[in-house]
Amino acid sequence: MSRLRIDKTLKLYVNGKFIRSESGRVLAVPTGEGRVVNVAMGSKKDLRNAVLAARKAQGGWCGKTAYNRGQILYRLAEMLDGRADALPTTKADAEAAVDRLVHYAGWADKITQVLSTLNPVSQTYVNYSRVRALGVVVAAPDPKDGLLGMVEAIGAATVMGNGLILLTDAAQGELAAALTEALHTSDFPSGVVNVFFGDQAELLGHASRHDDVDALYLAGAAPAAVVKGLEEENALVLRRVLKVASAAKPADPLQLQVLSEVQTVWMSAYESAGGGSAY
Amino acid sequence: MQERPELKLSGALDLAPALESHKVKVPEHCGHYIDGALRLGKPETYFSNLNPSTGMPLGTVAAADEEEVDQAVKAARAAFPGWSGLSGLERGKYLFRIARRMQERERDLAVVETIDNGKPIRETRDIDVPLAAGHFFYYAGWADKLEYASGGKPVRPLGVAGQIVPWNFPILMLAWKLAPALATGNTCVIKPAETTPLSAMLLAEILDEVGLPKGVVNIVNGPGTTGAAIVNHPDIDKISFTGSTPVGRMIMKSIAGSGKKATMELGGKSANIVFADAALDQAVEGVVTGIFMNQGHVCCAGSRLLVEESIKDEFLARLKRRILTLKIGDPLDKNTDIGAINSPKQFATVQRYIKLGVEEGGTLWQGAACDAPDEGFWVLPTLLTDVHPSDTVVREEIFGPVLSVLTFRTPDEAVQKANNSEYGLAAGVWSEKTSKLFSVAHRLNAGVIWVNGYNMFDPASPFGGMRHSGFGREGGVAGLWPYMEVVR
Repeated sequence: MSRLRIDKTLKLYVNGKFIRSESGRVLAVPTGEGRVVNVAMGSKKDLRNAVLAARKAQGGWCGKTAYNRGQILYRLAEMLDGRADALPTTKADAEAAVDRLVHYAGWADKITQVLSTLNPVSQTYVNYSRVRALGVVVAAPDPKDGLLGMVEAIGAATVMGNGLILLTDAAQGELAAALTEALHTSDFPSGVVNVFFGDQAELLGHASRHDDVDALYLAGAAPAAVVKGLEEENALVLRRVLKVASAAKPADPLQLQVLSEVQTVWMSAYESAGGGSAY
Repeated sequence: MQERPELKLSGALDLAPALESHKVKVPEHCGHYIDGALRLGKPETYFSNLNPSTGMPLGTVAAADEEEVDQAVKAARAAFPGWSGLSGLERGKYLFRIARRMQERERDLAVVETIDNGKPIRETRDIDVPLAAGHFFYYAGWADKLEYASGGKPVRPLGVAGQIVPWNFPILMLAWKLAPALATGNTCVIKPAETTPLSAMLLAEILDEVGLPKGVVNIVNGPGTTGAAIVNHPDIDKISFTGSTPVGRMIMKSIAGSGKKATMELGGKSANIVFADAALDQAVEGVVTGIFMNQGHVCCAGSRLLVEESIKDEFLARLKRRILTLKIGDPLDKNTDIGAINSPKQFATVQRYIKLGVEEGGTLWQGAACDAPDEGFWVLPTLLTDVHPSDTVVREEIFGPVLSVLTFRTPDEAVQKANNSEYGLAAGVWSEKTSKLFSVAHRLNAGVIWVNGYNMFDPASPFGGMRHSGFGREGGVAGLWPYMEVVR
């Protein structure tokens, strides 16, 4: 007599905890081996809680040293690599995802050096432009990009110091759940990366109407009508929407800067510097 | 607080008028500059342009309709392969030429700008025009070095840029938008503001004089409908807009789903924070520059004074004494500090806010060294005290010489109050304590922070806001990014 497989419940990962959706919505997804995974479908209220958690965690995350953030990203690579054979994806996808995290781990204490500038202004001020985190990013990776797509969004958003809510497609629940387990055992502080399963389009709609989200990250070729609707919503609060074609290559520095703010500081360089006033 | 005698300066500082004597031919009609040729535009669209310091007509302006905008976009598209295909060095040489020619015609530009806009000649002569030339000079040198601005990656231009500039810094904003767009290899369709079209006509002459290939820059005049025709044109790749936040929202909504990229340089309600340990007289200068430069028609104006409670009375006394030395009047007089409000419409807006500020419980104080002229549109430097963070005049952008005064007790409270705004364009911090300056500056949610200074601009210094003040930067290395992308 064959052994009865156990089903698995896939829970949302919010604020460092595995939770069911407050909505009670569950999607039963057959895996084809006489087994079912029950995917908790994230709701608007779950998203609201996740934004709160991400906002709260983000300050601490971007306040960590860049060196430390790099080590934490590297730790996530280690955790993912340790379970690479068990990940419900191709070997190539798993390896690319691990390598991508290594790439971002290395960026953490360098990207600000590449993007920040010391500006030679014609007044007695030390003028510098530094890149700083945007805040909370909501990302919808392209399901076609597999684990690499999810990891690319995590790397790009967090390396710039942002908190993240990753909206994964319910059909990829097991893969995303495996990622949350790696995240949970990495050293990422609770709330910095939150992972949802559900209907990406529905959740993006909720995110677009939430006033405490700083950017949307859309990967892949979403239908034009969907992008138009989202951009119209986000125009009302001048929220930026970063569109990424695919995760095949890591974000380049100019794409990464879209996930940050450039802050220019004119620091008076001499004692009792004048106000620059001609009045 | 030490009592000081009240200054009665009205009449005491009467200086002989020192009118700018440079003769300049003011264009009587502003048409369009499309595909390298000046056009009169369609007569049925003509509207008149006023001199804000006299209220008298300066001439006529044509409004480009969809057909004319389409011709401008087609010209820019046709010019794009040639312009973007030039070597960076050659492109840069054109920009250097423009910069040089602007320098040679600096006084023409300054006088025309002052007549058209109403701002003092001292500002156009010393700030607007030299900075505009400076932007071309700065970005000229980037044209052959773009990969150094992108982390070493090869880059390409976006295509045709549609650019819309406001009336508060007409020639400077033209330069802020054109210089980086051209340096990176884009071609442009640019619209000056409907109330300040004159300096763009001089710029068209300059572009002609330096032999810029036709179609690389196209200038179309007109009101918001012309702007909308640019924004909605299907063959535009990039929109760059400087103006109000409500219009910015409309533009973003219009281009949703189109794939057009955008830079939005929008409104602000910037805080100027003065700590008790600041060099107070210098801080007074900075507050005056912050809110009264260009009659407060500055998106990054320091319109919210946050002064540490313990020095509030002393600081306001010094500030008022300083304001009572400001000369308001003929913008062409070199002694003038405060010029005219740019348009009857803006004059009405400022008056409405002042009235509202008083209705909501604020205390009004206005002053200057002399009375405002009878003709034209004038607002004396204005302080509103006894206002609260929830008051309209503290939350909304007035775009006039109106300063709301608030107090704070601790650095944390100063940061919290400064950040309590839907905007995030700029801020000023005044103190002589370095550690406090850095810690406060870095916690402010604004794109530009002036420490012991205000309203300083430089071609090498990126400018732009956060939150509802928009996104994208103009100036510096970051000013190149919105006009190019990495070849992937």
